[in-house]
Amino acid sequence: MTKRKMFLRMITASLLRRRSRMLIALLSIGIGATILAGLVTIYVDVPRQMGAQFRSYGANMLLLPREGETLTRADLAETLQAIPPEELVGAAPYRYVRLDMTSRQQSFTAAGTDFAGITKTSPYFSVEGTYPARTRELLVGKEIADTIGVKVGSTMELTWQPTAAAGSLSPEESRVPGASLSGSAEGFGGGMVYVTAVLNEEAAIDSLTVDVSTQTPEYGGRIPEDEAFLRQFVGKSLPLTLGEDVDALSGATVTSGAVVDALNRATQAVSPAKPRTVIFTVTGILTTGGEEEGYVFLSLEDMESMTGSDQLDVAELSVSAGADQLQAYADAITGAEGKAQARLVKRVTRSEASVLEKLTALVFLVTLVVLLLTMICVSTTMMAVVSERRREIGLRKALGASDSSIRAEFLGEGLFLGLLGGVMGGLLGFVFAQVVSVNVFGSSITFQPLLLPAAILVSMAIAALSCLLPIKRAVAIDPALVLKGE
Amino acid sequence: MTVKAEGVSKRYFRKAGGANYFYAVQPVSLEIAPGGVTVLTGRSGSGKTTLLNMLCGLLRPSEGSVWYDGTDLYALDDKVLSRLRSGQIGIVPQGRSAVDTLTVLENILLPARLYRRPLPEAAAVQWMEKLGIAPLRDARPTELSGGELRRMAIVRALAQEPEVLFADEPTGDLDDENTRLVLSAFRDYAHEKEKAVFMVTHENDALQYADRVYRMDSGNITRQPG
Repeated sequence: MTKRKMFLRMITASLLRRRSRMLIALLSIGIGATILAGLVTIYVDVPRQMGAQFRSYGANMLLLPREGETLTRADLAETLQAIPPEELVGAAPYRYVRLDMTSRQQSFTAAGTDFAGITKTSPYFSVEGTYPARTRELLVGKEIADTIGVKVGSTMELTWQPTAAAGSLSPEESRVPGASLSGSAEGFGGGMVYVTAVLNEEAAIDSLTVDVSTQTPEYGGRIPEDEAFLRQFVGKSLPLTLGEDVDALSGATVTSGAVVDALNRATQAVSPAKPRTVIFTVTGILTTGGEEEGYVFLSLEDMESMTGSDQLDVAELSVSAGADQLQAYADAITGAEGKAQARLVKRVTRSEASVLEKLTALVFLVTLVVLLLTMICVSTTMMAVVSERRREIGLRKALGASDSSIRAEFLGEGLFLGLLGGVMGGLLGFVFAQVVSVNVFGSSITFQPLLLPAAILVSMAIAALSCLLPIKRAVAIDPALVLKGE
Repeated sequence: MTVKAEGVSKRYFRKAGGANYFYAVQPVSLEIAPGGVTVLTGRSGSGKTTLLNMLCGLLRPSEGSVWYDGTDLYALDDKVLSRLRSGQIGIVPQGRSAVDTLTVLENILLPARLYRRPLPEAAAVQWMEKLGIAPLRDARPTELSGGELRRMAIVRALAQEPEVLFADEPTGDLDDENTRLVLSAFRDYAHEKEKAVFMVTHENDALQYADRVYRMDSGNITRQPG
């Protein structure tokens, strides 16, 4: 018989003889470690898990055109590259215009958008019927649907009326080859002077007509007949300076200056766009509980073909990132020299942060309680083991076992339990976390390879800590007392 | 190795922390010399076991000191004292003293096992044969009678070949024949190996095997002539 064999016999016999107790201790460590590992996994994964959950609250970032800029779909696509694709849950661009329903003498706010994006950024939108999938299909807000009595399958004839302001250009922008410009300026005595100029291939003045009917006939009123005066404008590029580029007509200096001013201010006369009418088929009625119920939604393609413009008013983004990260993305977008600026939807981001904080605090608290309960259970069990083995411990001390060897033995037993419990907990903990994750959050969790060694270490530490008091008891056993006889 | 007790006493407080105490053992001085058997007799409750425990390093005296040659036993730290107990001091405790999960032989080898010393298996087998428990070497303590368990404890002490052997009522549950067997084994061990044996007993037969006899009465000790 070798010593090693004997030692193993002693250990296994000691464990086996007390197997029910050891099983309880092992179970408590194992279950404790399982819950701990599970909770820690969830704790680590909560922001990610909740991040995805929170996205059902809607968009948390807005992209707006920078001041003086227009934002197009291409600009949007470029801006979105600042956000990692895996964190960008969805983006919904919007262009708002008023559309008329001539047959009812009503007009509605219409939003051109990307319906695939809407389902991501506003998952709480409830649609009776379906989202439009093709052009010439329409999603109608419940409020409008109720007012005018449309249902899924109804048709709506909508007309876009261009507004006067649409398409006006600045004087500088107007000075392009072949353009026809018109402008006005105040002349002598407060009367207005109107000019119209046509530009040649080089964007220089080709021809000029002047309306000076408000001016004094003998002075300024002579300008349209004075060919010499008018000829000096031909071939010149705008803007002009009186006295340098052109000379004033004698006796009509003020009116001459007004002609130059009017030319310098002249802008391209943009021919007003024609109203466009499209017959839409209603595919869905939208209920949101919000102002969206007063809108009609059509595809961006329809919006573009109706208005002849691909500019956007706003884009709603849903980004799965923590508040700090989100702010960083927003700053990056706003800081970049792009056409968009980003704003966070504070109402959403703040409430997310607060919910997250509470949730992690809760998980942390539960973790602590489980830790404590596990320690109490293991400690109690080990205490019972020490009580049971009082005589044996006393005998071994009498036969020469030192306090430190008794300590080492119980600590070894505790650490062994911790090791087994930790392995059990690390593996079952992942299963536990997975079950919780799937059932509560509806998404699976990724296995953290570090979890297993961490669970083993923690449960061994817990086991060792739990053994402190029992070990103190064991060391305090007085062999002289326990060996007194039976 | 000579064991010397100098003014060793043990007193217990009637109430923990109280001033009211009694002596279980009055201050005692005695010497246990190698090469002989020292017997301590006396009535039950006279403090014999308490004195033995103090002499063998299991119970710290209230006063006085115990010397092993030049070493003050209770000035040693737990590690050194434990090692001493496992090798140079052999103890046969009163009552049952077996680890039930081990076989008889494993129980006997346990003290050596505690310190990774070479297991004195040959000596163990020899003593088992001498005391008539050789056939039980692989049996479990739970299968043994009281007398057999007692002899197992005695073999466990002897097999280590200790410098001093302490035995507390070693013949208490033995029949006459085994009592003689054990007592002569102690005497032979003391004489042949030049070791000290200290035995607490109220067995009159034991006195025949003793080289020195002390009597204890209500915590007081007197050396008996003879």
